[in-house]
Amino acid sequence: MPHNRIIQFFILYISGLTMLFLIKYSFGLSDYVIPAISDIVFTANKILPVYVRAVIESIIIAIIGHLLSIILACVIGILGRMNSFAGTLIKAGAYQIQAYPVVAIAPIIFILMGDGLLPRLLITSMICYFPLLLTFVGVFTEPVPDIEHYYNVTNTLSWDLEIKIRAYEHQKKILTVIEGSATLAMVGTIVAEFLSAESGIGYQISIALSQSDMAKVLIALFLIGLSISIYLTVLAAGLWTKNMQYSTGDGYH
Amino acid sequence: MNLQCKNISYSYNQQQQIFNHISFEFNGPGFHALFGESGVGKSTLAKIISGLMIPDKGTIINQSGSSQIIYTTNQERFPGWQTIQMHYNSILPENTKEICQHMMHVFGIDNCLHSKFNQLSLGQKNRVNLIRYLLQEHPALIMDESLANVDESMRERIILYIKEQFPEKIFIYISHHVREICKFCDQIVVLRSVGHSPQALKFKGQNIYNNTINSDQLKENMLEIVHAT
Repeated sequence: MPHNRIIQFFILYISGLTMLFLIKYSFGLSDYVIPAISDIVFTANKILPVYVRAVIESIIIAIIGHLLSIILACVIGILGRMNSFAGTLIKAGAYQIQAYPVVAIAPIIFILMGDGLLPRLLITSMICYFPLLLTFVGVFTEPVPDIEHYYNVTNTLSWDLEIKIRAYEHQKKILTVIEGSATLAMVGTIVAEFLSAESGIGYQISIALSQSDMAKVLIALFLIGLSISIYLTVLAAGLWTKNMQYSTGDGYH
Repeated sequence: MNLQCKNISYSYNQQQQIFNHISFEFNGPGFHALFGESGVGKSTLAKIISGLMIPDKGTIINQSGSSQIIYTTNQERFPGWQTIQMHYNSILPENTKEICQHMMHVFGIDNCLHSKFNQLSLGQKNRVNLIRYLLQEHPALIMDESLANVDESMRERIILYIKEQFPEKIFIYISHHVREICKFCDQIVVLRSVGHSPQALKFKGQNIYNNTINSDQLKENMLEIVHAT
């Protein structure tokens, strides 16, 4: 169902907005606190082009950061599956580094690297990579005895074949976590922009906050939600189509 | 070529004893059997013989040289992305291609070549799995229920083919079909539960190479085996 996520987003957004207006009119809050619909439409007409550009920039960074974290988690998962000292060290290091919240070290990253594209990418990747890492390490260290038995007894199980077997057998788990971590990638990008960038939708939200302009925040939230739901729809369609191909035999051989 | 189990003892989690000083021997190549009731430890013993499990006590003496004894079971699968043909091409030496095709024909699965493993019936799965093990160069193979879900006439055809095609190898066949075991196997080790002494008894089977058999002798043999369990 490719349109599900977009429909879900619209339902969620409209529900949130309705609740906000209920609070506004129940407690008689002023337009300064929660703007009227006409104010939101007026602000949207004024700032939409700028916000659309900003959200496109943010979603591109989120997608690149997401891809980087998938690659990173996959490589660490492959290395971490080794029973050697190096494997144990990598696995322990990868887990332990997450004990410290990434957001807390983000200012250091910005001080060291400035406020360009790179620190935003780095923070995005770091925020969404942990669930990916857990899944990849879990999948690559979990044997598939009924398939691997033959290769083990004939001494023909190479490391790449082992990974291929395990990844194939757990492809649904992998695809689910890739899909799930996509939202985290967008969260990471917005947090990074919010903290110190000079462009992107997170930066625009921080300006709107300093102006206490709820209309701008609501428009930004609408664009963020819409862009994430479109990305998730495209991602899910791509991933699950690939999954179907593997299952029916049109995949890699 | 002998395979000797000497004083094998084994317990699950150091508590539940399964084997208590089991000793027996398979002398020479041929089609031998490991028989016993369900849960008596046939598969565990087979894994110990093939080195997949370590016994608490005792030794396995494999006089067939340094080569490992390989173990196959009916629980195995092929990688999901490969068809049977792709899988065989990726694992079997080039010079076994012809015999592989012939075996598929004899085993009645030549129409499975372009299918994936999960598209096959249970009996077909067991037969395609067995072929890849038979084409290994190892001198000994343990077949744990490898012909389960295959109809009787096909099982007999396959066993006779294996005996004819690989006379120099040791096969240890694990099955619950007492008639089949008595009819085709040379040496039969009956494994009994841990309270019995001795826990393993050895019998001689009819070891036939074609489908003609003295039915009285077979019946007698079957009774002997059934009484021993």
